Amino acid sequence: MSCFVLRWWVAVEPIESVLKEGSKIADEVEVFFVKGESLSASLRKREISEAAISRSTGMAIRTIRDGKIGVSSTNDPERWQECLSAAIASGELATPQEWGGLPGPVDLDPSPLACDPEITMDPALLERFCEELLEGASRYPVEVTSGSAHVSRQFSTVANSSGVLYSSPKTSVGVSLDCISGQSTGYEFDSSYRLDIDPVGVGEEAARLAHTSAGGDDIRSGRYDVVLSQIALSQFLGAVFVPALSGRNVHAGRSRLAESMGEVVIDSSLSLYDDPFDGRGLSSTRWDAEGSPARRLDFIKNGVLMAFAYDLKTAYRYGKSSTGSAVRSGSGGGPAIGVHNLVLDGKESGIMDEPALYVHDVVGAHTANPLSGDFSVELSNAYLVEGGEFVRPVRKAMMSGNIFTMLKETGGVGSKKRVTGRMILPKIRLLRQNIIGV
Amino acid sequence: MDRIRYYDIRHVAGEVTHIDIDNSVIESAGTSFFDQAVVRVLGPRGWGIMTVDNYQRPRGDRFSDMINSVLGVASITGEEVEVADANRGVLDVPAMREDPRDVSIEEKTSILAGIEKSARLGGISSSRANYSERHDTVTFEDSSGNEHTYSICRCGFGIMAVASRNGVVQMGYERLHSISGLPIRHKQDIGAAAARRAIELLDAKAAKGGIMNAILDQELAGVFAHEAVGHASEGDLVKEGNSVLSGKIGEKIGNNILTIVDDPSLPEFGFEPVDAEGSAVGRTEIIRRGRVNTYLHSRETLAAIGHGAAGNARAMPGEPPLVRMSNTYIENGDSSLEEMLETCRDGILLKGSRGGQVDPGRGVFQFNAEYGYLVEGGEVAGMVRDVSLTGEILSTLHSIELCGNDLLMHQGYCGKGGQSVPVSDGSPHVLLRSAVVGGSGTD
Repeated sequence: MSCFVLRWWVAVEPIESVLKEGSKIADEVEVFFVKGESLSASLRKREISEAAISRSTGMAIRTIRDGKIGVSSTNDPERWQECLSAAIASGELATPQEWGGLPGPVDLDPSPLACDPEITMDPALLERFCEELLEGASRYPVEVTSGSAHVSRQFSTVANSSGVLYSSPKTSVGVSLDCISGQSTGYEFDSSYRLDIDPVGVGEEAARLAHTSAGGDDIRSGRYDVVLSQIALSQFLGAVFVPALSGRNVHAGRSRLAESMGEVVIDSSLSLYDDPFDGRGLSSTRWDAEGSPARRLDFIKNGVLMAFAYDLKTAYRYGKSSTGSAVRSGSGGGPAIGVHNLVLDGKESGIMDEPALYVHDVVGAHTANPLSGDFSVELSNAYLVEGGEFVRPVRKAMMSGNIFTMLKETGGVGSKKRVTGRMILPKIRLLRQNIIGV
Repeated sequence: MDRIRYYDIRHVAGEVTHIDIDNSVIESAGTSFFDQAVVRVLGPRGWGIMTVDNYQRPRGDRFSDMINSVLGVASITGEEVEVADANRGVLDVPAMREDPRDVSIEEKTSILAGIEKSARLGGISSSRANYSERHDTVTFEDSSGNEHTYSICRCGFGIMAVASRNGVVQMGYERLHSISGLPIRHKQDIGAAAARRAIELLDAKAAKGGIMNAILDQELAGVFAHEAVGHASEGDLVKEGNSVLSGKIGEKIGNNILTIVDDPSLPEFGFEPVDAEGSAVGRTEIIRRGRVNTYLHSRETLAAIGHGAAGNARAMPGEPPLVRMSNTYIENGDSSLEEMLETCRDGILLKGSRGGQVDPGRGVFQFNAEYGYLVEGGEVAGMVRDVSLTGEILSTLHSIELCGNDLLMHQGYCGKGGQSVPVSDGSPHVLLRSAVVGGSGTD
């Protein structure tokens, strides 16, 4: 499969130099190299106010000497020697640990999973996206406040002294729009690695949310069945549930799920897994950020906790195996444990058939207690649902509860999944949640 | 270059040192390097912006070639952007008490290990300490001939302790960030304080939500000022029509005792010697005695909507400037905490912050306390956990009934538009009448 060709040979020379020189002073060396470009446009009300182009490079070096792991990074590949020295120096301070070696090369299919060769840095494309966003928004009587459109492509390489040299291109395209009607706001977005986004639909949905949330009523405090949109669900999962599945947090005593392996931890109709090869995912990949082969990881199967996520460092320390879960988010550009495409499957049912409170988004999910999972958040674009229809918007209400217990018994999931960042989720019906209204 | 109305180039180069000690294991301790510039060109209509790595000012014609190529990027813009005049001037960066570059990373690691160790009290199952030190050298030039260079160091640490007992897990967290030099010496008591908080929280009850009187401590009231008022006063949001404070200049939205200020010139964590567009920085009274007084501005938003002065444009390295807060605080009133407890009678005292969020167009905010105490008959009673507070900007400020006289600033980072910048928030204790409090307690 062909994809665009970035001038990535610029990168080869420093990568080879780092591996060669690094191998003389450390037991093992790893280089992670990214080169990318992006083009974006910002809408202010109904006009594009700024257009931006960005070209960036990043190089992170990791060295291992006697079980001491050092990391450094730079955005100037010409400073690789300084960066290599800084990585070695950082390793000298680190506590030595059990280490079984960087991965060796595996015969992986090199064809890219999240790349569309049709995507180019074309300003006319962004102009069209912005026009389509506005066209969609014009279907409701609202004001557009701001919006954005972007395209980007990057080429990333992971290489190490054991012979791994994997390179892959990746593309991304996205739009978003904010609308307002009086004091009622609506926000919608879409992103993909290929040119299949729907800017008209995004504009229309942002406008619909703002329009239909206006004139809301207060609701009484009490217990309500709640249908969470994919966006609201992703906020809760990202704030608390995903960190609790990290092997590092599990072994460091910072995961509520640490002692629950093999137990039912959520509704038995639900399964949660990381699928790095999912064709919809923005972060699909065949290898993780430290060159371990990526693979499907079933965290929870039919409600039962089956696995935690590990990178090499955590796996070697605790006598486990890497699950191919390394992503680049660690300090100094180092690897850390994460997910590629987190997918939630469940029993599809008519989640809107019975009366419920529908919640499109929440304000403040990141303030949840990351250990216990207790939260209380404000609702955004919430509606009372009866007979499958939104009957009236809710002006203002809070939802309080616990992210772990709220998933223990649910009323099923919707049939349509949506990609939000690194998650691919359905809507979900939660039972008897605590709502604070008036 | 006749179609170019203005350009500026902001180049930031520097290094970042991180130390991470997790359950007495030194996970990482090292330094990374960065060098990025943002070139902005104002064309016939809007902005063209280019981010470049490892910037070196091109010589001769190549400089105008670069500016013209960024002008080309602006060709798809349609908004007729204007920039207002701004005062110029660069403040001196305050001298550091102890320059962290004079202390080896080995010594810093050892000091941080001491703080981490001090958090390992009986009952603590996990402890983690982080140190970060960032050196930025900023060089700026614009088409009006303004140019300046300065260097600034920001460093700080955080310590988290986790307590667990019979399946109940709670955490305590403390942090301290500074522009005045190495902040980690003799801070073991802070590690122990985080640990004691985590242990105490094991016995705290979940707060029961509802409408009640609430006293906010200085840290939480500072976050309140930031979330409930600061963001909605940002000129870009006001200009877009995405703020409930739009069109409200001069309008009374709070009690007479309430004055809310943003001031990048204060030597606190949100200090800037000059803003990211080269405008001089200074004190802005967003709310003066309960009335909306001014907005926070970049040169562009000042030209568009007026009311205030430029000086609040801030940017991460490699990112274009946005209108941002810096050091935001509620001015001192004259009430004592005892007086507030007495006036509160029955309600809740909320302390510490786990952050917050606002929808400025809707005018609704949420923020979360780390812990709190019930107030019963004017006395501080049992401890509660996981309490949050929400409100509507235009009505909640009226409910601030008393302001204390004990203003304190706390440091943090604020996110907007994908950029995170250092800020400080502060306040004296304040009393809110009939606040909407959220908690998962049900009894």
